[in-house]
Amino acid sequence: MSLTAHTAVTRRLTVEAGSGRLRRTAADVPGPLLESLGHHRPDRLPARTVLYVGGFEPSGTPPQDHRGLPVRTLATPGQALRLAHRELQEKTTDLALLATLDDPITGTVTVQVLRRAAEAVAEGPVVGVLDLAGLGPWPSSPLDPEHSVVLRPLRHGGPVSDPDRHRLLVWSGRDEPGERQVRQELRTLLEDMQPQGFPALPTAVPYGRAFGPVRAAAVTTARQAPAAVEAARATTTGRPRPVALLFPGQGSQHSAMAAGLYGHEPVFTAAVDAVLDLFGDEGPAVRADWLGDRPVIPIDDVRRAQPLLFAVDYALGRMVLSWGVRPAALLGHSAGELVAATLAGVVSLPDAVAMMRERVRHAVKIPAGGMLAVAASESALRPYLFGDVAVAAVNANQQTMLAGPTGPLAEVAAALRADGHTVVAVPATSPFHCPAMAPASDAVEIAYRGLRFSEPELPFYSGYTGELMGPEEALSPRYWARQLTDTVWFAPALEQLLAADDVLLVEAGPRQTLTAFARRHRAVRLGSSAAVALLPAKPGTPEDDRRSVLGAAARIWTEGHDLDQQALSRLWTWTAEPAAESARALTPAALS
Amino acid sequence: MPITTEVTLADLTRMLRESAGEEEGVDLDGDVIDTPFIDLGYDSLALLQVIGQIQREYGLVIPDDAVVDAETPRALLALINTAS
Repeated sequence: MSLTAHTAVTRRLTVEAGSGRLRRTAADVPGPLLESLGHHRPDRLPARTVLYVGGFEPSGTPPQDHRGLPVRTLATPGQALRLAHRELQEKTTDLALLATLDDPITGTVTVQVLRRAAEAVAEGPVVGVLDLAGLGPWPSSPLDPEHSVVLRPLRHGGPVSDPDRHRLLVWSGRDEPGERQVRQELRTLLEDMQPQGFPALPTAVPYGRAFGPVRAAAVTTARQAPAAVEAARATTTGRPRPVALLFPGQGSQHSAMAAGLYGHEPVFTAAVDAVLDLFGDEGPAVRADWLGDRPVIPIDDVRRAQPLLFAVDYALGRMVLSWGVRPAALLGHSAGELVAATLAGVVSLPDAVAMMRERVRHAVKIPAGGMLAVAASESALRPYLFGDVAVAAVNANQQTMLAGPTGPLAEVAAALRADGHTVVAVPATSPFHCPAMAPASDAVEIAYRGLRFSEPELPFYSGYTGELMGPEEALSPRYWARQLTDTVWFAPALEQLLAADDVLLVEAGPRQTLTAFARRHRAVRLGSSAAVALLPAKPGTPEDDRRSVLGAAARIWTEGHDLDQQALSRLWTWTAEPAAESARALTPAALS
Repeated sequence: MPITTEVTLADLTRMLRESAGEEEGVDLDGDVIDTPFIDLGYDSLALLQVIGQIQREYGLVIPDDAVVDAETPRALLALINTAS
């Protein structure tokens, strides 16, 4: 089911050679090529971008470099493609620009942007997966100026038709009687229908009709469909509140979290694969401990909790984006902030994973510690703190987290309990967000200095300043390093987010911790904003995961957002192809 | 010890409000008896606190599993009123 051995084309452009700006000699290629792709400034390209040129006529010494962009010149298009694929798989390249002459059509130059397939699928819906075995099956599109192929992740899985799998049905009407009429038609259709046909019904019924403002949705199986449609509540939508995504951190993890989506939803699956693949040799072990009954390293261990929370939060975020949701704001709690940063474009996915790996590598060297959740305000807890025991997170009114080394933390817990406070241990093996993490924070800061940070492209709230993230913090390696020692001000950040606009908060992570905090907030309590979680509050079955995600999609739709129905339908019509594992393994060795 | 006072929904609602802090209390007006606690904004920590308060106020012993088992006010009241 893994896309990780494949290379994907994310853009493709074919132009006539010679007549335009792209000429037949290799030396003339880089400048016009970058221009044709809209990249006038090579220094603005992502790190580890390489230009591969194949099949052009040699003219003197081929360039090794174009204004800082490495250039590799090869004799034939096939050689250039193979080298690009190999360097992508070996991760010496993250983004390959490929220019080839006379391929597949004589007299044309084809420019393609290549990435590792799992990452490309995870990051954008418009991708073509390149089958390198024959170098042939790419759909020919002569002189199409901006030819992009919509990826069918289905290609790496198979369609399923299971009437017992939950699916989403949405319908609408221009007014209340109109909605009731559509609902009645739908009920009649469902009552007369063979269960086998149920999964194939379009997401929105009747198909092709424009959506009206009175909306309803049902998440159901074939057998219960008529009753579920009958019971659905209709909502009259006005201006839909924009979606804001929340990403939970340490404490929300559990074994097999979101596993009901892995292998059952293509964007989620590709995104998890992309993250785990970036963990290198460790990736398969992390995946096995996530899904297995008997993990070698327990899920609450920092070496599993942090990578898997990142992978699951990130993949859920990508899945929601693939539905066509454009979030108005992002907010992550603790480790969830790195997910928000990645989706906001502050760091690339490979760099985010590198940051996570550094963080884990140094966190394990810190003497064991833990975290507590206490039903009390931050100020009520201050008198109990001593040594390295500190306020780790201010989550909500009467909900504060403490962290510290094991011994002192136990003393604080005992003192709090003796005074009648309710104290719960948060599953964690490291004392995140307290001064005991300082050596790890210092070590990761050095590593972070080598990474490239960009200004956020989406409004992104910081749990460390409790404010909208500005360029100063986003671009600072020190800001990111200090996350290990500093308090998470989640409640103030949420306050700022909800003050800026009325939103529909969607929690993209395991459990419903942040949703519960949000529901205690005045703005949500009074109904000006709302909160919904993608996953169940407690660990459940794989079907529970999918049902819960569908329920959240239904909520976003009844809010008034128009979602990509085909993308949604993959939640009940797609499964990872069991045969994919045995498909031709495109190893670099096999290609050279 | 037999229970002399039955805990009612009104009592439970009062304690839920108090535990959340009056100003930031969740919306407990309307019929909440079958609304899951998580939909009211009560996570396991907030519920544990309420249960602790009920135990102290009414001199009851309620097993810790109550938080896991009782997903709605109705379920929690049933559990409380059969506790000894």
